[in-house]
Amino acid sequence: MSNQQPILQLRGISKSFGFVQAVKNVNWEVYPGEVHALVGDNGAGKSTLIKMICGALLPDSGEILVKGANARIAEPVDAFRLGIAPVYQDLALVEGRDVVMNMFLGDELTHGPFNLFLDHKRMAIETQRVLDEIHSRIPNVREYVRRLSGGQRQAVAVGRALIRGGEVIIMDEPTAALGVEQTREVLNLIETLRSRGKTVIFISHNILQVLQVTNRISVMFHGEMVGTRKTSETNEDEIVGMIVGTKRDVLAAQE
Amino acid sequence: MANSDTLEYRNRRTDDAQRLLRLALDNWLYAATILLCIFFAFRAPNFLTVDNVINTLVSSSITGIVTAGFTIVLLTGTIDASTSGITALASVLCAVMFQQWGVPLPLTLLLLMVASILMGLVSSFLIIEGRIYSLIATLGSSGVFLGLSVGLAAGQQIAITKPELQNALFERPLGIPVSIWVLFLCYLLGYVMLNHTRLGAHIYATGSNYSAARLSGIPVKRVIRIALIIAATTTSLAAVLATARANLSLLYGVTIGGVNLADVFTAALLGGISLRGGVGKIERNLVAVLFLSILSNGLQLMGTAPAVWLVIKGLAFVGAVIIDAVRQRL
Repeated sequence: MSNQQPILQLRGISKSFGFVQAVKNVNWEVYPGEVHALVGDNGAGKSTLIKMICGALLPDSGEILVKGANARIAEPVDAFRLGIAPVYQDLALVEGRDVVMNMFLGDELTHGPFNLFLDHKRMAIETQRVLDEIHSRIPNVREYVRRLSGGQRQAVAVGRALIRGGEVIIMDEPTAALGVEQTREVLNLIETLRSRGKTVIFISHNILQVLQVTNRISVMFHGEMVGTRKTSETNEDEIVGMIVGTKRDVLAAQE
Repeated sequence: MANSDTLEYRNRRTDDAQRLLRLALDNWLYAATILLCIFFAFRAPNFLTVDNVINTLVSSSITGIVTAGFTIVLLTGTIDASTSGITALASVLCAVMFQQWGVPLPLTLLLLMVASILMGLVSSFLIIEGRIYSLIATLGSSGVFLGLSVGLAAGQQIAITKPELQNALFERPLGIPVSIWVLFLCYLLGYVMLNHTRLGAHIYATGSNYSAARLSGIPVKRVIRIALIIAATTTSLAAVLATARANLSLLYGVTIGGVNLADVFTAALLGGISLRGGVGKIERNLVAVLFLSILSNGLQLMGTAPAVWLVIKGLAFVGAVIIDAVRQRL
């Protein structure tokens, strides 16, 4: 995998809030088509790091490369344009609107004179197509999101990322608030995304889930990237040790 | 497994009950309006005459037009309480420009539109840049507009003697008075904008979940700004109609034909617009305006004391708030 070009590469990324250094000189590589876990304790800097990749925060220093090219991500829109599509923890869905309008939220299809009018029909068809693609079980695309289950909402959020041409799908704690059945739905969804050649960054606290679905696992501790492991070559003990800070990569520490 | 089956069954039953309740909350107004018409047709003399129907529509037009803009702002999750200030300033500006400065009518209307945009910008500046809660910010800007209007009019009502303004109001294209045309046009445009344009989709999204809308790349601040400008424009339009009818500038915006913010609130809430934003349909608000107007008209025709109407209006306001609260819990 290492002879491939990373789809996403961070070099020396740092971010401070006042005196608190939330992210310290992070180097990180994510390769195309992999499911890559980002784990760490609360406050380890995962969310801050992800927000910088998604354009919700600006790094103090360092650079982000997308497909080898230097990328400037100042706004969420910039990230979308580069194919980086976050699926936020609170999902960022609008409950009082239907699945279709949520799929195209902020990016609605239009037609008619001056592209003035919404193309409700084409949006519904596209929505159905994407939902079928990720094997979602939403019976009616005109259903209000308010009435969907947690797993179905996750599917809508991921569907939106795909509709926007997302290549790197960032899922922030997608199973945190879900029951057993819905968690399985989301893990299946991740499998589907991998089989479709998408890159998934999977942020989670649940080590067992991470070991189950990912290709590689990166661990953050106190704002530093302490190491990356191939999922097939590691185990729960090692990852937990890295999370709580008892084990760390000598190499990463020196960098 | 059996447990989850019963749970699902129970869920489905509460689902059905909720759906029924929601259906009732969404449609009771249509039924009530029809029943009210039938009732008055039998009990109120002259209720179903052409003249009375037109009168009722005309008398509902001003509150109705203001409610249209007010509704659009409410849908973004913002409350615009600057109605009376905008009414007063637009009316005085109209009278000053048209009567005292001798500006031709079309140019007066155009300049009023510019003034409306500015008024909307003032309120949106306070809400967006000043981060002041919208109800408070617009009460403040309303006060400023009122003060400006009193200053401009030197504390007097300005009588309009040039005839074009009132003549324009008394035109009847296709036999229907201008104010009714304007009323229906406002709602038609509002309906198309809210349901069939990106701006409409963004208005609903902003009101329903501000941060989600922002994260999705919707320019939420601009959406709120545009909504406030639309509301200021419709309110000014209503003010011009009221001014034309009275042939006088509206002092403090509360003379006959002026707009009462409580009436606008009542109509919007009866129509099912949520105070939290993002929920409701503008066409239902038109029905709510007509409902209130029909109720007032029928009671008058039946010879009921005005006090009764005032009490009923108060009750309708409280009832509308209660219905909104019930809906929010669904």
